[in-house]
Amino acid sequence: MGHTSLEKIIALQKKTPHIRNLCILAHVDHGKTTLADCLVASNGIISSRLAGKLRYLDSREDEQIRGITMKSSAISLHYTTGNEYLINLIDSPGHVDFSSEVSTAVRLCDGAIVVVDAVEGVCPQTQVVLRQAWLENIRPVLVINKIDRLIVELKLTSQEAYTHLQKILEQVNAVTGSLFTSKVLEERAEKDAEAQSSCTENGSGDQVYDWSAGLEETDDSDLYFSPDRGNVVFASAIDGWGFSIHQFAEMYSQKMGIRSSVLLKTLWGDFYLNAKAKKIMKGAQSKGKKPLFVQLVLDNIWSMYDAVVTRRDKEKVEKMVTSLGLKVMSRDLRHSDPKVLLSAICSQWLPVSQAVLSMVCEKLPSPAEISAERVEKLMSVGARRFDSLPEQTQELKKAFLDCSADETAPVIVFVSKMFAVDSKALPQNKQRPLTQEEIAQRREQARQRHAERQAANQSAETLKGTELNMLPTALSVKTAVEEDNKEHFVAFARVYSGVLRKGQKVFVLGPKYDPSLLPEGCSAADVLPSVPHMACCTVDSLYLLMGRELEELDEVPTGNVLGIGGMEEFILKSATISTSPSCPPFTPLNFEATPIVRVAVEPKHPSEMPKLVRGMRLLNQADPCAEVFAKIEISASKPIIPFRETVIRPPKVDMVNEDMGKQQKVAVIHQVKEEQTKYPEGVQVDSTGLVTLTTPNKMATVGVRAIPLPEEVTRLLEDNVELIRTMEQFSLFVWEDKTLDINQKILENIQEFKVKLESNLQGRKWRGAVERIWAFGPRRCGPNILLNSVEGYRRPSVWQCLEREKETEKAEIRDFDNSIASGFQLATLSGPMCEELLMGVCFSVETWDMKLSAPLAQQDSIDEDSRAAEPNIDNQNESSDTHETNTSSASSNRSRSGAEAAGSSVDCYGPFSGQLIAAMKEACRYAFQAKPQRLMAAMYTCEIMATAEVLGRVYAVLSKREGRVLQEEMKEGTDMFIIKAVLPVAESFGFADEIRKRTSGLASPQLVFSHWEVISSDPFWVPTTEEEYLHFGEKADSSNQALKYMNAVRRRKGLYVEEKIVEHAEKQRTLSKNK
Amino acid sequence: MSIFTPTNQIRLTNVAVVRMKKGGKRFEIACYKNKVMSWRSGAEKDLDEVLQTNTVFVNVSKGQVAKKDDLSSAFGTEDLTEICKQILAKGELQVSDRERQSQLEQMFRDIATIVAEKCVNPETKRPYTVSLIERAMKDIHFSVKANKSTKQQALEVIKQLQQSIQIQRAHMRLRFVLPARDGKRLKEKLRPLIKTVENEDFDEQLEMVYLFIVQVCLIDPGCFRDIDELIRCETKGKGTLEVLSLKDVEEGDEKLE
Repeated sequence: MGHTSLEKIIALQKKTPHIRNLCILAHVDHGKTTLADCLVASNGIISSRLAGKLRYLDSREDEQIRGITMKSSAISLHYTTGNEYLINLIDSPGHVDFSSEVSTAVRLCDGAIVVVDAVEGVCPQTQVVLRQAWLENIRPVLVINKIDRLIVELKLTSQEAYTHLQKILEQVNAVTGSLFTSKVLEERAEKDAEAQSSCTENGSGDQVYDWSAGLEETDDSDLYFSPDRGNVVFASAIDGWGFSIHQFAEMYSQKMGIRSSVLLKTLWGDFYLNAKAKKIMKGAQSKGKKPLFVQLVLDNIWSMYDAVVTRRDKEKVEKMVTSLGLKVMSRDLRHSDPKVLLSAICSQWLPVSQAVLSMVCEKLPSPAEISAERVEKLMSVGARRFDSLPEQTQELKKAFLDCSADETAPVIVFVSKMFAVDSKALPQNKQRPLTQEEIAQRREQARQRHAERQAANQSAETLKGTELNMLPTALSVKTAVEEDNKEHFVAFARVYSGVLRKGQKVFVLGPKYDPSLLPEGCSAADVLPSVPHMACCTVDSLYLLMGRELEELDEVPTGNVLGIGGMEEFILKSATISTSPSCPPFTPLNFEATPIVRVAVEPKHPSEMPKLVRGMRLLNQADPCAEVFAKIEISASKPIIPFRETVIRPPKVDMVNEDMGKQQKVAVIHQVKEEQTKYPEGVQVDSTGLVTLTTPNKMATVGVRAIPLPEEVTRLLEDNVELIRTMEQFSLFVWEDKTLDINQKILENIQEFKVKLESNLQGRKWRGAVERIWAFGPRRCGPNILLNSVEGYRRPSVWQCLEREKETEKAEIRDFDNSIASGFQLATLSGPMCEELLMGVCFSVETWDMKLSAPLAQQDSIDEDSRAAEPNIDNQNESSDTHETNTSSASSNRSRSGAEAAGSSVDCYGPFSGQLIAAMKEACRYAFQAKPQRLMAAMYTCEIMATAEVLGRVYAVLSKREGRVLQEEMKEGTDMFIIKAVLPVAESFGFADEIRKRTSGLASPQLVFSHWEVISSDPFWVPTTEEEYLHFGEKADSSNQALKYMNAVRRRKGLYVEEKIVEHAEKQRTLSKNK
Repeated sequence: MSIFTPTNQIRLTNVAVVRMKKGGKRFEIACYKNKVMSWRSGAEKDLDEVLQTNTVFVNVSKGQVAKKDDLSSAFGTEDLTEICKQILAKGELQVSDRERQSQLEQMFRDIATIVAEKCVNPETKRPYTVSLIERAMKDIHFSVKANKSTKQQALEVIKQLQQSIQIQRAHMRLRFVLPARDGKRLKEKLRPLIKTVENEDFDEQLEMVYLFIVQVCLIDPGCFRDIDELIRCETKGKGTLEVLSLKDVEEGDEKLE
């Protein structure tokens, strides 16, 4: 550790007004970590020579290798200008993928340093971080970095550079401005919505109302960055220099005898120095004079670069050095790389750390100055207003505002994330010079341990496996840490009030905790009441975060950023820690990036599932982007099945043919499609699509027709799955002569559902169809219907529950009724195209003849699948005996075996009910095939926010993946476009990734499942006419999307795919390996 | 000079021979490799892509062409294309490497799909993915037998997989309604077949004559036939058995806490 000792920092921690919590935010590669390096070097933690190269805060190995920051990390710095300041600096990643880290960092800070590359200007992430800082109500200051690139790379003159810098400043201010306007507009919209309530609201509401009257009137000048306001620093972190206008103003006020306050105002802007009059005049641009900034500031720097880097003029350099009163080591002067000399000079002349830190200390608020508005925002969760919180909680606001480190003040700590630390890095496990005693003690321990290990070795093998599965408890972690190199979780937190001490008893409040649920009057000392989302624990250890190192602390007073150890059990990701149970949990973090990608993870070896689950848990804890990992399902995650099958109304004219005809003015349309679907024997298909099929034992014949359901009906069925399930349950109970009480509300819903169905199923074809519904499928509640169109067969309808009052004559249930329904269920469960569920198909049973039905007709079912339903079951007992003889004699192919005595119809084809199920299933499948079949694709609706520049690329990706844009509109007050599109689920894999790559992170899609859509192309379509051959080629596979999907699914499932093993017989590789 | 020096040796490359014995004579045709199965399955429709030549041979490798008389006496026609089609359809051939490979691959995947459909992880009651099952099958070095049905092999695989991973067949959920008279006796018999009884109910009929025992329980699907048989025989058709769900699996998302 550098000049600043731990004791010093601990002492400083207690002076709340002299603490600054800030984070560095910027786009990727704008120099956050380099700037942080310079600041760290100012404290002597690293050498100033290495500053900018070491990237001290990128402590992870992969961060160093890839050269980007991935995790935010904190360090405490000490800075003196008259007063002594403690600066808690958090470096954050700039890459889009880690933007969740930014959210956690921003929450803990009071101020932010926004870094902008002088060449690249405002980039997408710059906008994002500015927005985040805005949302969290923290005050930003600006650092324009990499000015050296303007000189060395772009070779701009100082005048050009000045205009360039002005432009960048304008860009940044434009972003801030748009944030401001969108907020005002938003609030106005809100106010418009509740216009009448606005008068009842308190003062702030009225104020907002004033704003809406005129945007221009609102004072927003303090939001903007301007060098003369002192919140902008120009810097080159890599060369170690940076300045704010203050420094130069002071410098020149002595030289030129102009008051520094005047200089301060005029140094940035359209002012020039009238050399004769020794006066500063306005209008440099119009008069073609050099602005003051160029003349006094930039020119100096330019000449410095010119002398040192470009011309390498030694004499001039020496002259400059002496005139600036600097001391440069001769080693640096002689160095062959001019950069070394440059940084040696500049870091003494205009040290960047000085410029930045002084600006930070002046411009950014201390923890004590937390605004009331921000406190209310933090404390009121979700839509709840602050006023609605319990009284005790409202009192806490005072504690927040006071930010006092008194003993009596309640402790309030917010944990924004958990991060993993290698156990070696923990201070208690760190190597320290040992005293003699300790060494002796260690030796003793080691010996003991050795002996133990010897003894436990055999049993340990077996134990270890189980130990891994358990979530480690606090104690076992400690022991485990010593033994193997386990990762340790440390909570990244900040104290908002009070003093957090080691060994203190505190409440850990989860994000969903609600203080209003709390029983009256209990404190930390009380026995823990069982309140949801609340736990009580003692603080294990406190750490000072010093980049990659942790220093152990005993207490942390208010306003500091700290690490808390031993919390992994209690805290999942973020939490609030308090000594007062009435403390509300802080509002959840604003994540710029909501989780989009959903990944299924499975272990390479299935037996390692428990390990995977444990790993997932850890990952879930470590990554602040909440939902990403919370949504991972433990074992096999069932993907959304992207396809379903359906039939459609036969097209009047083949669509493709019609199209062709129009194109080529030849109307040669002849459909030769009959031979395509070959039916096996025993299946008769008539021209209208009625399929009749007989069971293998020739006992029963069923005739089934498939009819497409109207789209609205399908949707209605999909939406009302719960109702259908209730109805199904009801009829089940009725069959057992029990009653299920359904409450009135649901009955009404069912009635409504029925009416809707009726209104949608209009027309001759559907007359009385709703009453005749036999079953829904698959799984008895799906979007397919089995219709009873058998003449002279009346069965109780599915709407029984509605007609309970009118006990009409009992409609009889035919034998094997259930077999037919089961066959239907099976058929709808897997369609013929690729064994996916059917959707929107109505199977209408038109004929159902049973040879043995005559004697069995009156008798009630005795078979496994039909139920004994009637109350006259005792009669049935006798009658069944008599009938058995009848049936057995009637059916020729039945043997008088013993089994038959039990009433089962056993023949060589298995139980009759089973045969009927199979026959019904097959009949349904063929009926389905007799109609034009289509695949249905699940569609996502996809909402994309994109800026105007990348709109074209977004469209390109969408169209490549068969997406369709529904609407596009501009968001009010910003230049963002919101695009709504639909996209097949099957095409969505990797979509979010691709779109982000193509737009360099400027557009991010949100995918939500919306509906099913019929793919219009016929998967079985082949060109039949000559024109089609010409147009599509022989196989027509280029255009047939449905076929592509169908084959992909079939291949995945291991079903037969109709395709050749080799395409061209002559073009095979014929050489075998050993010849 | 030996006859079989490499220059004299003519190898039949890219040739698959389809043989057929008819009328006491052996006929052969020369086809392309990896094409005959596609022709038989109907995927390949172009005969020229299957046949090297439409000549019918007695011995392809020696180049002996079949005599016209023999052909007409055996097939009753002299149309060579027609004869070739017949031989293609019914003749015997050695299945070539890629054909076999694709067939086995397809069966392997089919078996994995069947296993994944039928089984669950007993801990979570969730199904495994097909790819995971495939990997597990490879781990236990399962080899597909081409002459057994995939379903049969799938059932075998489940037994073998149980030794390496946690897997079991998804239970069926059944409901019996048994008359009270036989119920007690029957229950004892059913007990070993049933995994768990979820719900047991004594219910009185409207006429107060019969007591019914209603049981909802989970069983292993392998026992279904036995249970079915038992109930039917023992109760003389008064007991009913109803399948509530074919497989009892958890669905939907679970949030990790």
